[in-house]
Amino acid sequence: MPIHLQPEHVAAIRAHGERTYPEECGGLLLGILEGDDQIVREIMPLDNIRNDSRHNRVELSPLDYARAEREAGRRNLGVWGYYHSHPDHPAVPSSFDLEHAPFTEWSYLIVSIRDGKAADLRAWSLRTDRSQFDEKTIVTASQYKPTP
Amino acid sequence: MPSIAIPTALRQFAGGNSAVQVQGQKIGEAIADLADQYPDLKKHLFDANGNLRSFVNVFINDEDIRHLQQNETAISDSDEISIIPSIAGGSATEADLRAGSTPLPELNKDEIARYSRHLIMPEVGMEGQRKLKAASVLLIGTGGLGSPLGLYLAAAGIGRLGLVDFDVVDESNLQRQIVHGTKDVGRPKIESARDRLSDINPHIQIDTHEFALRSENALDLIRDYDIVIDGTDNFQTRYLVNDASVLLGKPNVYGSIFRFDGQASVFYPASGGPCYRCLYPEPPPPGLVPSCAEGGVLGILPGIIGVIQATEAIKLIIGQGDPLIGRLLLFDALKMKFKELKLRRNPECPLCGENPTIRELIDYDQFCGIVPETVEAQTDDDWEITPVQLKQRLDQGERITIIDVREIHEWQICNLESYGSRLIPLGQFPDRITELSREEHIVLQCKMGGRSAKAYEALKKSGFTRIRNLKGGILAWADTVDPGLPKY
Repeated sequence: MPIHLQPEHVAAIRAHGERTYPEECGGLLLGILEGDDQIVREIMPLDNIRNDSRHNRVELSPLDYARAEREAGRRNLGVWGYYHSHPDHPAVPSSFDLEHAPFTEWSYLIVSIRDGKAADLRAWSLRTDRSQFDEKTIVTASQYKPTP
Repeated sequence: MPSIAIPTALRQFAGGNSAVQVQGQKIGEAIADLADQYPDLKKHLFDANGNLRSFVNVFINDEDIRHLQQNETAISDSDEISIIPSIAGGSATEADLRAGSTPLPELNKDEIARYSRHLIMPEVGMEGQRKLKAASVLLIGTGGLGSPLGLYLAAAGIGRLGLVDFDVVDESNLQRQIVHGTKDVGRPKIESARDRLSDINPHIQIDTHEFALRSENALDLIRDYDIVIDGTDNFQTRYLVNDASVLLGKPNVYGSIFRFDGQASVFYPASGGPCYRCLYPEPPPPGLVPSCAEGGVLGILPGIIGVIQATEAIKLIIGQGDPLIGRLLLFDALKMKFKELKLRRNPECPLCGENPTIRELIDYDQFCGIVPETVEAQTDDDWEITPVQLKQRLDQGERITIIDVREIHEWQICNLESYGSRLIPLGQFPDRITELSREEHIVLQCKMGGRSAKAYEALKKSGFTRIRNLKGGILAWADTVDPGLPKY
């Protein structure tokens, strides 16, 4: 079940992580499902609403989420995942991520930011029993031809 | 009738609807009605106790019902009701997580002086050092790998170190097990290690567990620690440590050594990486891979690999750098080269794969094919001879051929050549069986009696009947017959 991203999506996520470094950033992934594949159509960068521990915690506003759902609905898209950054940490889910991941159907993108520069971007999915994450393949546009 | 907006990810459990009309005067009733209409939604919305999951928020217009009258909040048809996930993430480490409930411990003046070279590095600093102090690490074994692990982790200020071992210090350990000294020979390793580590750092707590790690005690023991580090060299314990740490969701810092080669990795499926079983689904047949006692090990090698393991443990705790998760580091001391292999999680893994079949600890001796002694040999009452019996028969002038099945470099350390013994290394069986006569009385001998038992089986299969195995090998000979013989 790969996740398909356009190069500009990857660039937007990396840029967002670099912009907020050394603090974490986050945002939502809007797109569609094609069979088992998740096709991302738009990245929606959002504010980190945490007041404390912003260097290793990110939280998105529920109202922003509601707005994203409305926006997605208007365009026949859905909210199929979210991304966040790990400043100076690997692009691997933490135990905190595991405890707080809402949906087993979502994609979880993590970008590692090292010394202010974006490094790895990796995708993860949550098992149906919520016991752990499994890595997903990221397919970028060069490898994927969207259906007309 | 009011309707509830369903988030994209849950619509497949709500008949594909983006909103569902519900009945009820209060929000609690409306949510219950939603769950009744679409029972598949239940496990996504409610935990095992029937409470809304912590990341499920219910909003009426722009207000979270937790800030209104909760389930009792009255609703009307014109209200916009939405189920909204909490979305939070973080790069927190294990120590951070605990810090969420209890604050990190403070460092006193002595500790600040002691750890100053850590504290002036921004990657560690006061926060990192306090995480180290808050952390607990369990070392399985206080031998070759456990020695440098213990020394450096104690020195680094890991707040609580657990040591598991039930062995006693032997002279042959001192070539590499640097936590023990000559004065400790004959002492339990765990006591010797505890004394040395508390001398290095009196600020840390050391828990000693003097027993063998087994399926019956492993979960209770490991549960109490943040990180487990495997410093053993047998497959039963390696699979046991792997399975227990995966079942408990703990990182397992792995290392292994043999002769001039070593490897290290971090197995941590809870954070997306593979486990030891993804790398080696099955243990090798017993006897195929020699242990360090049989094959030898360069004394420095566990130092190198153990220090790599200690480094990984510290990185996991302070949350810095790229851990060895999903990577196997290979070290060749003769070539002085490191190599790295990418490890992928095996989706078919019976432990951490997509459909795990191992949900509790098993019998690891059985899994690794270990039986106490060969059944065939046990039924044969007088297959063994003790060194004392052999000496008596030799002294009575009996003609007995002693065949030493060890390696040539072991022969050079000590042998029974003065009693006419001959060297045929086990690896050269059965090619050299023709050198032996079925008429001779033969005693097979190795270091401790294990390899010669294999040679015994080989000869027996070839029709030899006048054969015996020297019980306890040349070490037992040195203990009971000739104390002047060097032991190794």
